[in-house]
Amino acid sequence: MVPNNPDDPIIETRGLAKHFGDVRAVDGIDLTIGRGEIYGFLGRNGAGKTTTIRMLLGLIRPTAGQVAILGTPIQPGQQSIFARVGFLVETATAYPNLTVTENLDIQRRLTSAPGGAVAEIITQLGLGQYQDRRAGTLSLGNKQRLSLARAMIHKPDLLILDEPANGLDPAGIVEIRLLLRHLADDNGVTVFVSSHILPEVANLVDRIGIVHAGKLVEEMPIADLHAKSRSFLEIVVSDPDRAAALLGDRLGMETIERHPNGALRLFDGLDRTPEIAKVLVDAGLDLSRLATDEEDLEAYFLKLTEGAY
Amino acid sequence: MVGQIFLTELLKLRRTKITWVSLIAIAIMPMVGGLFTWIAKDPARAADLGLMGQKAQFIGVTADWPSFFLLILQTMGVAGMILVSVIAVYVFGREYTEQTAKNLLALPVGRHWFVIAKLGVVALWFAVLVGFLIAWSLVVGWLVGMPGFSLDLAVTASADLFLAASVGWLLVPAVAWVSAVGRGYMAPLVFTFFMLLVGNVLGATGWGKWFPWSIVPLYSGVAGPRVETLAPGSIGVLVAAFVAGTLGIIWQLRHADNVQ
Repeated sequence: MVPNNPDDPIIETRGLAKHFGDVRAVDGIDLTIGRGEIYGFLGRNGAGKTTTIRMLLGLIRPTAGQVAILGTPIQPGQQSIFARVGFLVETATAYPNLTVTENLDIQRRLTSAPGGAVAEIITQLGLGQYQDRRAGTLSLGNKQRLSLARAMIHKPDLLILDEPANGLDPAGIVEIRLLLRHLADDNGVTVFVSSHILPEVANLVDRIGIVHAGKLVEEMPIADLHAKSRSFLEIVVSDPDRAAALLGDRLGMETIERHPNGALRLFDGLDRTPEIAKVLVDAGLDLSRLATDEEDLEAYFLKLTEGAY
Repeated sequence: MVGQIFLTELLKLRRTKITWVSLIAIAIMPMVGGLFTWIAKDPARAADLGLMGQKAQFIGVTADWPSFFLLILQTMGVAGMILVSVIAVYVFGREYTEQTAKNLLALPVGRHWFVIAKLGVVALWFAVLVGFLIAWSLVVGWLVGMPGFSLDLAVTASADLFLAASVGWLLVPAVAWVSAVGRGYMAPLVFTFFMLLVGNVLGATGWGKWFPWSIVPLYSGVAGPRVETLAPGSIGVLVAAFVAGTLGIIWQLRHADNVQ
């Protein structure tokens, strides 16, 4: 087990910003990610995730701020640091006329990986039965595996993966999650993974940063995020508006939210279930569900990114 | 490492259809020339073939090896220029069309090396095509049974073709730069055809020797009387176009935002 060391930053950004005309795609992001850490960079579509990743990789130049990868500032002409970085940016791409093996062989040569690296990564990513298939004929999921293999072939110290689960089936997602966890825990590889689906990475990452409108709006260990999930009482009833009014008038309940599925959610008075049931039934409403539950990560994520219902 | 980069650029061409298309395109050039000279060998047969015979006579084809080689050189002045540009557009533009450029730019390899390797691949590819063109022209000329062959003539014609091809290759960086700016095939193809059009028009004026895209048409004799020796000024213009194009694409890859 390699200890996560925040004092040994593998990725460090300060005031990182990118403006496209009047659009502030990234607006002053500070990140410090330590060795062996798996960091989830979350945000909705257009939040600034991919633009940030492009700046980490030197594909686009920041309008302001600095980026350092493995202690080296990212600047034009400074390419040698990328010998220790593997990446997947946005869509999975490969040369469609070349086979899986040939595509990986090109990457092997360009990263000076040893000769056996192609066969090894093909096995590791489960691409064995497709190794002689042209990349252009692969399914989306296998193209994604090929791109992940391309990112990992030279055993980098840092993996920057933009939406790595794209196109993968549930079994594939679990498989990649276990692989990344193994790389981080046993080999000290730092993984920076972006996603727009929080539950997808919640079981993988050590820490999350939530980006919205180009700003980092929240950053916390994943354990704290689980602790922040609120409990609530869900009520499915025939007339939710009348039920909400009744609960407010008769029981003094104020924090009632209406879920898009029509259910009511009460965030206080969870111990007053018998009273709530009595009020609603006495009023002649049909009560079909009354149960406590926990707010999921997705709801929390949506709330932070202004998508709460 | 430079050798590895060049090798990877060559490996990317495996199973690409355009390599075969370019070979077929270059093979057609002497076949058309051979057809014209075959028609020109027999005026009666030319008359029987109507427009084709008139065209053959119109372009002043006579049925001998010097005329045949000149016709090939003239074809190189237009079709060869288009072909080398299309090859360049493919080699550079595919990285954007296939969205693989981003995979190249965050590697432990100076981005300029990709430019140099790709220019090298275009040069090698075009040189192979010109070599094939010369060999195939000799076969076609022999099949047509043209008189007036000599080894000196063949060597001179080959040198002329390679020189015209080299001059055409000097313009490749400018096309590549437009590929990088336009991120794909369309912009550089439009640029190529526009510059060739302007080049052929300017070639008919006194300004042609100063305009890079006029120099090959002038040298091959397709845009007016053939200029057999390039003026130092023309060579300077070509070198300047090559250097500017190369620096342009290197700057583009190093400093511009690479967003696909």
